[in-house]
Amino acid sequence: MKDTSSYKENVEQAIANPKLSEALHLFGDSYLIARENAYKGLDFEEMRSELSDIKDNVRLNRKELLAEFVKNAEAAGSKVFIAKDTKEANDYVIKLAKSKDAKLIAKSKSMVSEEAHFNKAVKAHGIRAAETDLGEWIIQLAGQRPSHMVMPAIHMFKEEVAELFTKEAGKTISPEIKTLVDHARTRLRKEYFDADIGLTGANFLVANTGGIGLVTNEGNARLCATLPKVHVVFASIHKLVRNMEDAIKITRLLPRNATGQLLTSYVTWIKGCVPCDGEDKEQHIILIDGGREALYESKACRDALKCIQCGACANVCPVYQTVGGHVFGSIYISAIGIILTAFYEGLDKAKDITRACIGCRSCVAVCPSKIDLEEIILHLKNEVTKEYGMGVIKNVAFKAIMKNRGLFHSMVRAASKLQRPVTHKNRGTGEQRIIRHLPLHFMERDFTEWRDLPSIAPKSFRDQFDSIPQTLFNPDYKVGFFVGCGGDFVYPEVGVSLIKVLNSLNVEVVFPKGQSCCGIPALYSGDTATGIDLAKQSVEAFTDADLDYILCICPTCTMGVKRDFVDRLADHPQWAAKARDLSAKTMDASAFLENVLGASEKLSSLTAGEAVTYHDSCHLKRGSDVWKEPRALLNSSGHEVLEMKNSDRCCGFGGTYSFLGQPQISKQITADKVSTIKATGVKTVAMDCPGCMIMLKGAVGKADESIRCVHTMELLAEAIDKNKTKKQ
Amino acid sequence: MTEKYTKQFIETAQRVGAEVLEVEDLQAVAKYISGITKDTTLVPDTDLSKKHNLQSILTTEGIDVFSGDFRTAGHVPAAGVTFCNFCMADSGTVVLESTNEDIRLATTLPEVHFVIADPAKILKDNLAAVAPMSSMHEGDDPKFVAYITGPSRTADVERVLTIGCHGPRELHILLVGNISSDVMEN
Repeated sequence: MKDTSSYKENVEQAIANPKLSEALHLFGDSYLIARENAYKGLDFEEMRSELSDIKDNVRLNRKELLAEFVKNAEAAGSKVFIAKDTKEANDYVIKLAKSKDAKLIAKSKSMVSEEAHFNKAVKAHGIRAAETDLGEWIIQLAGQRPSHMVMPAIHMFKEEVAELFTKEAGKTISPEIKTLVDHARTRLRKEYFDADIGLTGANFLVANTGGIGLVTNEGNARLCATLPKVHVVFASIHKLVRNMEDAIKITRLLPRNATGQLLTSYVTWIKGCVPCDGEDKEQHIILIDGGREALYESKACRDALKCIQCGACANVCPVYQTVGGHVFGSIYISAIGIILTAFYEGLDKAKDITRACIGCRSCVAVCPSKIDLEEIILHLKNEVTKEYGMGVIKNVAFKAIMKNRGLFHSMVRAASKLQRPVTHKNRGTGEQRIIRHLPLHFMERDFTEWRDLPSIAPKSFRDQFDSIPQTLFNPDYKVGFFVGCGGDFVYPEVGVSLIKVLNSLNVEVVFPKGQSCCGIPALYSGDTATGIDLAKQSVEAFTDADLDYILCICPTCTMGVKRDFVDRLADHPQWAAKARDLSAKTMDASAFLENVLGASEKLSSLTAGEAVTYHDSCHLKRGSDVWKEPRALLNSSGHEVLEMKNSDRCCGFGGTYSFLGQPQISKQITADKVSTIKATGVKTVAMDCPGCMIMLKGAVGKADESIRCVHTMELLAEAIDKNKTKKQ
Repeated sequence: MTEKYTKQFIETAQRVGAEVLEVEDLQAVAKYISGITKDTTLVPDTDLSKKHNLQSILTTEGIDVFSGDFRTAGHVPAAGVTFCNFCMADSGTVVLESTNEDIRLATTLPEVHFVIADPAKILKDNLAAVAPMSSMHEGDDPKFVAYITGPSRTADVERVLTIGCHGPRELHILLVGNISSDVMEN
């Protein structure tokens, strides 16, 4: 742990030591399989909607539920103390321990005790807290903090653990995992018998019984709650549930989502002062607020308290897998950690990790409480920008240039000419217009060291549109094309292909020229004001055009129009209805082709005859739930889609993330993607996102020039062309 | 309650590392246990153990049934033998109302935990457990109820699943008919 060094240094250090990242990747892969098996025969979406509702109900009725819990717990003999912060909670235990002359507390896992720096606080009063959870004991011996909620010592290797155990035991403990676990079993057994107080956390505070629920695997919490005469429950207030039924429903999700288990080895329900060594046990329940009430009051962020602490958001996070939990988190790590750190420790402590989120939404897809973590993080990015600014480059780019459509577009045109001396042709695929090396004075060397950069197209889509003939008689639909910056200035050929495909299916394409950037790059950097301006420009342009549908070839733009335009303009009366209207008509091009036109049937006479592998873009799969559609279209047009491993794992682009934000992390995530693409042996990678194209064309191009990265619309257009040639 | 979940229960419990065996009667249970250990065995006094003379059946088989304060039976006794309230087929779980401290000691401290379960007590899943769990918690009496699914485990060192961390290293579930079909007793 390097609490004193800077975030940037920590990232560099983590990347320089790939051993941890490799281990986290292996874990991430096996986790996905175990999780999938655990949910077999169950409807995850339905289960998580129900959990989300359960937690909403708790939020709305928390005061009453808390009172009910306290009444029932006291009736069963418990003493309940409500602590406004972690210090009050620590002080209560210290006072209690002193009154009993207690010297040893046997402790099972409690995340809020980590938040409270409990061990350190009691140690200052001569009381020893003995961690008994294996992972917690390991990090206690190492003087570290957890790097994962469920597996606190996930960052350590058996040799390091053996070294710690050897030092503590004063004799050699060999680094075999079985030996290490056996040693902990024997060594810690004594602590339960010797302890004056046993401390546990709580996964549930069941209001209508006054009891707690504990979900564990090792069995240490059962021993901590049984052997010592006094049982202290250290729990945060948001663990409240209405009743046993709700708690049991959560036990159906928690282990499945945490470790892929149907149930953990032990789920323990304890209510009141149970018998203990011939007497009644003394039980103290400490309910800690510690910032939860403030979080409940934050409309934008309160869903974070629906968290049941399964750790899944870390398991699937490409950033976590790259740098680990000590870099990407504080007490709590990964996506949920960003939010909780901001509220429990302060925005300042959270600002670097907030910016470290790449926005891929893989956490959102697996969250058992259906928390839109990415949206909350987006809100926090905005807060961070308000508080600390977003840096000179983004300030100029977003506020001074992008807001002004005319200036932005003429600057892009000028840039297209200025870059000519550095552009090259890809030797393998023959592709034009890549930037292989940037002159060193222009940008940091790192920018083109591991990937080529795309250059700006000589003629943007908006400058080409009028010259593309569309000769349709009585078209079935008139659709507007929201081109997006990548489609407009970098890959105008995608839009040209889209027109070809749509025209072949008797659909006319309209291009409202007043449209601008979707605003997501500004928004993701926390610049809401620019986001609102850009939204208005595009809403106006499309509303005036009077269209059946609006199509995007960039899933980030789709999300921008469908979700963010509506959110951004909700409080602008003259805009809100128009934005909602536009949102309802907007979809990704492949979704329109397949779901509206049924194109895979209509294209089934095509015979492209080429094997492709498909990369799922984050915002297409997890933002729009579109992933079957492009596959259906590609397969029907004669392509054979061969799946790559983890096809829906982020490519590392994340917009400005890969350039200005966190290029080092980006580079690692991209390297993973490139290796899974190469492993397929397929020479064409299809995708539906210009952002992914920028990243993958660049990185794949550096790694293997014979592999081609291409938009699905381009492949469909090629198949149509091929068919025409054959017919002639 | 029916016995239709027996097969599923056996499969799921085995999958999480429990040994599951269908046996004839408690004599067969005693024989099975004695084949694994005869050392210090904790057998709590409960309604069912008294009703079925479990302790004497085990003693007859030569098992050292510990008599006295379980807390003095050593840090790691050889075995614990209990009945259970009910089982859950979907996860392979046994449920023990363990407010009686001896049940808790007999199921947490020993190396091996033997559970005797009547197939008539196997519920479909944990949703079916909501009703008995809710009624167990009615009133103001203190209560300790344990779900046990396989032996104690950890994955805290290098994410490698390792059996036998702090609780019993082995869990043996012995299915015996005609013991009890009442989920409120064990």
